[in-house]
Amino acid sequence: MKWIEVYLQEVERRLPEKNREDILLEIQSTIQDMLPENPSENDVKDVLQELGDPVKLAQGYSEKPMHLIGPRYYDLYISLIKLILPIAITVSLITLLAENIIGNVEETSLIGMILSILGKGLWLILSVGMQVFFWITVIFALIERVDFSSEDEEPTSSRKEWTPEKLKKVSHTPKKRAISQWEVYGAIIWTAIWATVYFHADQLLGIYENQGEGLTYITPALNQDVLLSYWPGIVLVIGLEIALALYKLLKKEWSKDVVWFNTIQELLSIGIFVWIITDERLFQSAFINYISDLFQWNSAQVADGLAWRIAAIFIIFAVWNIIDGFIKYKKGVKKTKLKHEFGK
Amino acid sequence: MSQLLNSLLTEQRRGNLTLAVLSQLRTPQYGYSLVKRLEGSGITIEQSTLYPLLRRLEKKDLVTSSWDTSESRPRKYYVLSDYGEDIFQTLKEEWKKATNELFQLLEEENNEMD
Repeated sequence: MKWIEVYLQEVERRLPEKNREDILLEIQSTIQDMLPENPSENDVKDVLQELGDPVKLAQGYSEKPMHLIGPRYYDLYISLIKLILPIAITVSLITLLAENIIGNVEETSLIGMILSILGKGLWLILSVGMQVFFWITVIFALIERVDFSSEDEEPTSSRKEWTPEKLKKVSHTPKKRAISQWEVYGAIIWTAIWATVYFHADQLLGIYENQGEGLTYITPALNQDVLLSYWPGIVLVIGLEIALALYKLLKKEWSKDVVWFNTIQELLSIGIFVWIITDERLFQSAFINYISDLFQWNSAQVADGLAWRIAAIFIIFAVWNIIDGFIKYKKGVKKTKLKHEFGK
Repeated sequence: MSQLLNSLLTEQRRGNLTLAVLSQLRTPQYGYSLVKRLEGSGITIEQSTLYPLLRRLEKKDLVTSSWDTSESRPRKYYVLSDYGEDIFQTLKEEWKKATNELFQLLEEENNEMD
């Protein structure tokens, strides 16, 4: 009887916890049904042979998916990794740069500094990449296991049935009006870049001087405390930019809604930026003095003039972005009316 | 070649097995008696396929189960539920229709080859 006990044990440790005893009892009773009266060892072996590999037998009872991420989530999983990976790497690289430019006082030669940043950068890309990959995979594997809701249903049954009539609602997108995926990714990465720089501004933006032995960081340009005090505004802008990017990804073309969203977002962002940049405490006085010494201007003029000059550049870019949106939208208006074509 | 054939055959048999099992469960059966009955009709089913299948059918309320402990050893009996009976009848009709159509299709192809 040893054979049967070991066989059952082999099955048992692979069974789902829930019905383990019940399943085991059933298998045991089946084995006994199959055995003749007073079975010999060969009889037992024959019966076990017929039942087959205990691993396979136990597998049949498994209720959990036998894969990490199934076809239902695979596409989403891959595109999320593609989106988040470059963002995470960009943010961490800028942070690395910020921390090393100031921290590297003892590193005298410029080449030594560049090499050390390069080395750290490569290592950082690797470890950030692994982290992103790991956490997204873990989250999706969990979703795959928790969400049993539509497991038994056909994947299409939850949606309404498709008819050719639905094509009417999808407008044919002219190429000039289309928003490419790369444009959206670019926008999100750009948001990540400036936001990271913003929160490390005192370490990145400032005066560097070549004093014979590599670059020396003389003074930061901006007052980080002032920058940080505007965080609700910045968070709002970041939120709007990401919302707009996702909305573009969804719409895939410069529709009327996208153009207006774009306009509102640009106006609000530029408003907040101008508000921040014209704060008179924003520029470090050391920085203002340096500039006024350099150009022989008086320092009050510099503070005011500099702020508005930078603001002007921001405003020009914002206005251009708004106009650009309208131009792209207009290009598509001449599109052939699809309803008309369907009517024929 | 043979591996491909095997996987195609498994796929082809999968649906039929469910129907075969359902058809035998109008009277209560325990696992091994079900195997014997199916074998009597020339249908072989691996036990490692049958028992998990019975559990899945039970989970979807097509069959109900109960332990009979009155005999020398306990046995788990499965029997078709009312809902299972409805499903079985529909499946049976569909299967008859489909095999009929398929049969004619294959016959026509036979005639063309002659």
